[in-house]
Amino acid sequence: MNTQLWALAVAGFVVLVAAGLEAVRAARARRLAAGAVAAPASEPYILYFTGESCTICRTHQEPALAKLEGVRVDKVDAIAERELAERFHVYTLPTTVVMGPDGRALHVNYGYAPATKLDRQLAEARNGSTLEHAATA
Amino acid sequence: MALTTVDHSALKVNQTGIVATVLVAFIGSLFFRPILVLIPLLAVVLLLGTFAPQLALFKQMYFKVLKPRGIVKPRPVQDRPEPHNFAQGLGGVFLAISSVLLLPVPVLGLALALLVAVLAFINLAFSYCVGCQIYYQLGKAGLIHA
Repeated sequence: MNTQLWALAVAGFVVLVAAGLEAVRAARARRLAAGAVAAPASEPYILYFTGESCTICRTHQEPALAKLEGVRVDKVDAIAERELAERFHVYTLPTTVVMGPDGRALHVNYGYAPATKLDRQLAEARNGSTLEHAATA
Repeated sequence: MALTTVDHSALKVNQTGIVATVLVAFIGSLFFRPILVLIPLLAVVLLLGTFAPQLALFKQMYFKVLKPRGIVKPRPVQDRPEPHNFAQGLGGVFLAISSVLLLPVPVLGLALALLVAVLAFINLAFSYCVGCQIYYQLGKAGLIHA
């Protein structure tokens, strides 16, 4: 009984430490990627980092992106376009980046991001640009 | 590398088999220690299945029994089998290490087997494949052609 309890405790501890490290890594990558620059556009758009080996990209992320109507999605192969992937600190696939019209990264999602989350981030990006435009007008 | 059709139901059955076997071994060992032999057996099944898919026990159970009888419906997805095979092989390697540790350090052996089950469960429940992410990282580092 003791062996099993200790094994459970060790496994639980490893899972907690791994989850903590993952959270720290994601926060760090998000902080480093914030404000990274890509091509400007007239509207907010999404940079979608994927790869042939990414299953969840096809089964989850792409259907979620398809739900976003009238939003430009630039699909990027993270292996082939390594420089761009490095710029946004892509360490996992899928990664989605909501880009402002000025070409700056506004939100970075490491891992699967559901359509509702992306929709909210795009709305924030639109409002942000509206506020900026209003401020400069 | 070109995409092919991968039946994700076969992967799910495989993951269910891993989780169930480790849980049976873990809970069963509370009452009957020799049942821990299931862990080295599972390691053998996973490693054999990685290199010879016709010997992948859980997948064959799906293709020969569960699918023909309509118990589990097929879910073909345009995908690459390599990351999944890599993940399965990695699970097999960890279970092999776990098996080696079971006699001298049973706590670590069991903990490692539980971790494999946790990762299989995460893949089963949330479709998040840690082994596939490692495959991506190795590809990014240029160590394999991902």
